[in-house]
Amino acid sequence: MNLSIKVFCRMTLTKNYGLNGVIVSLVFLASFSFGYFERGVKLSFAEEIETLRIVGSTTVAPIAARAAEMFSKKHSGIRIIVNGGGSGVGINAVGRGLAEIGLASREVTLKEKKRFENANLKDHAVGRDGVACAVSSEIFYAGVTELTRQQIANIYSGKIKSWKDLGGPDRPILVIDKEKHRGTRHVFMNYVFGNVNARARGARLVTGSNNEERSKISQSDSAVGMLSAAWLNGDVKGIALKQDGVSISPTEENIRSGKYPVIRDLLFITAGEPKGILKEFIDFVRGEGGRSIVLESGYVPIHSS
Amino acid sequence: MFPFIVPDRRRNADPLFWSTVFSAGLVLATAVIFSSYLFWESLPVWDQGLWAFLTSVEWDPGEDVYGAGAMIYGSLIVTSLALLFALPFALCGAITASEFLSPRARLVFKGAMETMAGAPGVVYGLLGAAMLSLWVKDFFGLIDGSTLFTAGILLGIMILPTIMTLAEDAIHSVPGEYRDTALSLGLTPLQAFFKAVAPRALPGIIGAVLLGLGRALGETIAVMLVIGGLDIIPMGLDLFSPGQNIPSKLGREAAEAIGSGMHWNALIALGAILFTGTMMLTAAGSWLLRRRAV
Repeated sequence: MNLSIKVFCRMTLTKNYGLNGVIVSLVFLASFSFGYFERGVKLSFAEEIETLRIVGSTTVAPIAARAAEMFSKKHSGIRIIVNGGGSGVGINAVGRGLAEIGLASREVTLKEKKRFENANLKDHAVGRDGVACAVSSEIFYAGVTELTRQQIANIYSGKIKSWKDLGGPDRPILVIDKEKHRGTRHVFMNYVFGNVNARARGARLVTGSNNEERSKISQSDSAVGMLSAAWLNGDVKGIALKQDGVSISPTEENIRSGKYPVIRDLLFITAGEPKGILKEFIDFVRGEGGRSIVLESGYVPIHSS
Repeated sequence: MFPFIVPDRRRNADPLFWSTVFSAGLVLATAVIFSSYLFWESLPVWDQGLWAFLTSVEWDPGEDVYGAGAMIYGSLIVTSLALLFALPFALCGAITASEFLSPRARLVFKGAMETMAGAPGVVYGLLGAAMLSLWVKDFFGLIDGSTLFTAGILLGIMILPTIMTLAEDAIHSVPGEYRDTALSLGLTPLQAFFKAVAPRALPGIIGAVLLGLGRALGETIAVMLVIGGLDIIPMGLDLFSPGQNIPSKLGREAAEAIGSGMHWNALIALGAILFTGTMMLTAAGSWLLRRRAV
């Protein structure tokens, strides 16, 4: 029996693009939310191949993509396809039966629960992540390294328009918002305004995936946005949040210990309790094998905290 | 069967003939189903008040409030900008190619234009996001280059070759006698063009412009990359503000809303507005282009 396995990697998921970051990110912009992470295994003989479709949050997608690659090496006869799109897209897809697993970096909202009552959505936490208030490195090095919740709220509601008012250079703030259904936005807005759907009247731009947000922030010298802490890099710096006189940076350590206030569980969502190969895959991600994947992706494994 | 559609002499033709008729019928059915689906699915939104939907700027799926004002405004502004930018260049290019270039040079020129006209929108979009938006940002000293203006210019560049090559066809198809007669009366070549050729080519030129506009109105990805994605109508006529147009809105939100409730209906309603707009432009354009043969 000739068993030849081809692994297709359309685009690899690495977090440090270095000099090519902007170019790579622009390619990502183009494919903007769909179809960037697709890994599959094809078999050259006719046999029933089970397909797992995984869709959703671009924050969780790196975990799913890495896990899919490792899992399909061990299990022949399974094909796993991972796609981005955002948490809202993931929940919608699994709720409507368009995917076996929906990825979400936020909780399922009441409205979504009601809409997909029949699907009986179950969530499985696979890791933990912090949402950082991210700024262009120029701003960070010019001295704006910490902000209070009220200051961030004022930026996003349009009351503060210049970095000068925050101790930075005399430049207008490029306020970057995200698409409304995105998990990162829900978590961030819930922290800043206490409302997951809060409106950001001061926003100048709306972006989608983590990649798009990060490339926009790094392209500018005066931008502020919201970003999964794992996506921060040299050009895009996470700001420390100041609470009661204490500043807490979105470092891995602070997220692990729960000290950093804006954290969320990264979820795999299934319709009903998972069975068969689906259960095996989820157990794999939540087990020892998954632990190293979660760490490698820059997140905190769920069982260690 | 169907004597009113198929002429008598074809009634007993071979099966292959009927399979072509069947395929043609399928195409027609697709067109009908497509447009009726758009309007049927958007009915719940029209029920809430057509005028309110068209003019309101509030778009909040969280609260189930939908208004298309910002998107319609953005579409109009971006498309007009594109036209203003493209028209002079397109017309001058068309006149030069048709009237003053040698037949060989004309073919090369046309070939280049048609290649550009066929280039996919996403390629323009990549260049727009990587270069044009940065130039706009630096040149006008903005905090960000994603603006209605950028989108308009990018669309202008995109529709330029379409308009140019179609307008050139229209001008070139005016019979040579008009030029010869005008020249023999002592007019200069330019005078001959404006007095004798242009009036006859005008319907075709307008048709070319409308078809170009149709492309501009429906272009999605290129605009999405440079328009900013903010659902607002800026104060005054601020072209350097970010905005949103209909296709870009659809592109951003379709995946999360597929088939679910009012949000989906509202997006379909946007699609119906866009469809109506491009359909009218294309219909008018094709009609005028058909008349170009004078």
